[in-house]
Amino acid sequence: MENEVREYRRTRELSQAELADELGVSRQTIIAIESGRYSPSLPLAFRIARFFDVPVEKLFNPSEEVDT
Amino acid sequence: MTRIKHPRLIAPLSTLAVGSSIAVAVGIGYTWTGAIIAEIVVVLESIGYFALTGSKSDVGAIYGQRRDERQGQVLLRASRLAMIVMFAVVFVITLFTLASKGSYWQVDVVGSVGGVSYFIGLLIYGEHDESARGAQRGIMSSEVIAESSDNGVTPPL
Repeated sequence: MENEVREYRRTRELSQAELADELGVSRQTIIAIESGRYSPSLPLAFRIARFFDVPVEKLFNPSEEVDT
Repeated sequence: MTRIKHPRLIAPLSTLAVGSSIAVAVGIGYTWTGAIIAEIVVVLESIGYFALTGSKSDVGAIYGQRRDERQGQVLLRASRLAMIVMFAVVFVITLFTLASKGSYWQVDVVGSVGGVSYFIGLLIYGEHDESARGAQRGIMSSEVIAESSDNGVTPPL
């Protein structure tokens, strides 16, 4: 699934490791989400959206679905 | 849920416990020299697992009991692969054992227990259609219909 996580993370000037710590996941998971290889669960997607203070549909674009 | 105090120790200690019991079995059934050699291998393996649990990789997180949701999926997929391979091996061993008129009860036990566990897992973790069950028992209830009518919602046919 395509998403804007990388863009929002860079806007906040956070590293992948720092974002991972904030969200309570591993850095590899942030890498997988940003590259679209992994679609997060609903709770994690909402956690990311809440962290960046944006609606979840602004972060994730389901029309570009890929196998996770 | 109870938090485990030293999660990094689970994999190495489990390996040590399982391996040591095998080493003791080797000692009883064969030789104690073999048992000591087996125990040395088990201890080295446990140390290796402990080192692995400290790494920042997916494998380290899984063995160190600190996996996130994606790593949980990795674990499930790996377990599924292991199960498929194990059943394939059991199948091949069964064929060879039957063809050579050997004793096959051990593989029979492994295959049967694995198969039954699989179906138990489906029952435990699968979602079950409660409304269909209710309808089967004849309680496609008037309460539900009455409640729906009260709310001005047309009940499903």
